[in-house]
Amino acid sequence: MPRTVILGVIGSDAHVVGITILEQALSAAGFEVINLGVQTSQDEFVSAAKSHDAEAVLVSSLYGHARQDCEGLHDELDAAGLDVLTYVGGNLAVGQSDFEETQATFRQMGFDRVFDAETDPEEAIEMLREDLQLTTTEAEQIRVDG
Amino acid sequence: MPTDERLSDDQLQRIANDLRDNWHTGREVDFEEAIAFHESLPASKQFATVLESADQPLLQPRAGVPCLEEQIDLLRYLQDEGGADLLPTTIDSYTRDNEYEKAEEGLAASRGSDENELNGFPAVNHGVEDCRRLIRALDAPVEVRHGTPDARLLAMVTLAGGFQSFEGGPISYNIPYTKRHDLATTIEHWQFVDRLCGAYTERGVTINREPFGPLTGTLVPPSIAIAVMLVEGELAATQGVRSLTLGYGQVGNLVQDVAALRALRKLGNEYLRDEVTVTTVFHEWMGGFPPDEARANGVISLGGATAAVAQPDKVITKSAQEFQGVPTKEANAAGLRTTRQLIDMMIEQDIDLGGIEEEQALIERETRALMDAIYEAGDGDVAQGVINAFDSGALDVPFAPSDAAKGAVLPARDDDGRVRIFEFADLALPDDIKEIHAARLGERAETEGRDQSFRMVADDVDAISDGKLIGRPTGDNGPAGGASDAD
Repeated sequence: MPRTVILGVIGSDAHVVGITILEQALSAAGFEVINLGVQTSQDEFVSAAKSHDAEAVLVSSLYGHARQDCEGLHDELDAAGLDVLTYVGGNLAVGQSDFEETQATFRQMGFDRVFDAETDPEEAIEMLREDLQLTTTEAEQIRVDG
Repeated sequence: MPTDERLSDDQLQRIANDLRDNWHTGREVDFEEAIAFHESLPASKQFATVLESADQPLLQPRAGVPCLEEQIDLLRYLQDEGGADLLPTTIDSYTRDNEYEKAEEGLAASRGSDENELNGFPAVNHGVEDCRRLIRALDAPVEVRHGTPDARLLAMVTLAGGFQSFEGGPISYNIPYTKRHDLATTIEHWQFVDRLCGAYTERGVTINREPFGPLTGTLVPPSIAIAVMLVEGELAATQGVRSLTLGYGQVGNLVQDVAALRALRKLGNEYLRDEVTVTTVFHEWMGGFPPDEARANGVISLGGATAAVAQPDKVITKSAQEFQGVPTKEANAAGLRTTRQLIDMMIEQDIDLGGIEEEQALIERETRALMDAIYEAGDGDVAQGVINAFDSGALDVPFAPSDAAKGAVLPARDDDGRVRIFEFADLALPDDIKEIHAARLGERAETEGRDQSFRMVADDVDAISDGKLIGRPTGDNGPAGGASDAD
């Protein structure tokens, strides 16, 4: 049975290219992807995770306001009784800040994994498989290109 | 659902009256008195006159800061040190969302500090008189550049303020910019904007309109961009617009870019009614830039070279600081001069490139197929047709964030770096054209020793910022044989 993941760009950010590519990559890797698109609120992430019985919530942000936009997301997930894996990725802070610091900040907020904008989809999918304890045979459509 | 019919004078008046109270500066707008202001401007500040009489591509940057004096200084600098022929005023994001309260706060905060608290010039908040101060202070014509789905009040204030060109359109400022605006509403809003431009035009003050050609700025196949330009052009012409500048964003393949600009001009003249003067604008690369400024200058130079060959009427320039965001005025002016150098060195050369005619014929055939599908979807009405075509996916834009488009079409470059369509979804193109695209992408897959897949799309999106054109496998985990030139 395919594992369901929720995907979306949080806040008022309209950068769609990254999640479009991620959606394709995740589907090709055998996941059931619920793509909420750009300009998605915390509520929309939480209710989608609940109604689709998702195993992971993947949050994208590229315009620098990720910290403000994600503040309280994990409380909302807890309040909804959801114990899901959460990832965040993109350009998470304005300017040239140190990624390790950014990573620590978002880990503190409750994200299981934090990615920068340079991360390949394959890398994130690999970790998702690891975190969900999926073997490659479970997602049989996988084909690693290039 | 709107139809492609001209708004009556009563409708124009009624909507204008309703908008007047959305922000206090709306009440300063007086059409008769605005006509008199425009009539007082010399020919050198008449946008359509300058653009339509030019004998080689005119250069225009993007630029907007919150405060009036700083905006005047910035534009003077770009005019004097960059040699800009046409000037812009880029509007801030709050105004684009019609959040005039927030723009007011940002403007006040910017006035009290050295920092710019807005990412552009909040023209509605400044009002008619400040816009006129800006127009008076400069030597060249000025265009309003923005990204506003509902730009009705912005148009009322800025046109009364002396601007004579207004960027955008109901599709090009909806589909790439926002998620939840439905197309029927943005078409109605832009019918008002276009009718207002038409009303000025009928009084002898030609307002130039410029649909935003690059759309999502990310590997948009030329025929999709051109179809959107033709639709917005037709909608504007119905409302009385008589000066239209159709746009196209550089994809980076020289032959395809030249072919697309020629197709755009040809189809623009063919589809739009005879009373309309059609000009074209070429946008230097709108996708991700290399972080290295030297390499970024290379991208800009290729844009200048393309413009020298294709000779659009106007070029929107980029700066080498594009990767970091809004450039300094020095970098912005340098982007203008770099482009100018390429154009001036190349424009008199007789450059014969192979394959342009064939590529242009393909683009034209695709565009005609899309336009036929649009008319059919609206029973001959282009407004209804474009709404229905986006709804069904017969017309679609890659990487569109809007709920009004499927966003299911995916592009990829072929072995020559031309943008082809990898995933057609429901795009209304005939099978023989789809086969051409598939064959070209097949050649690339063979060269690279990998299957056609979304991975190519992802690699292509990053390729130019990574210093290449085509997203070849880098060789660290892929098979050998790709023409990759890893650095």
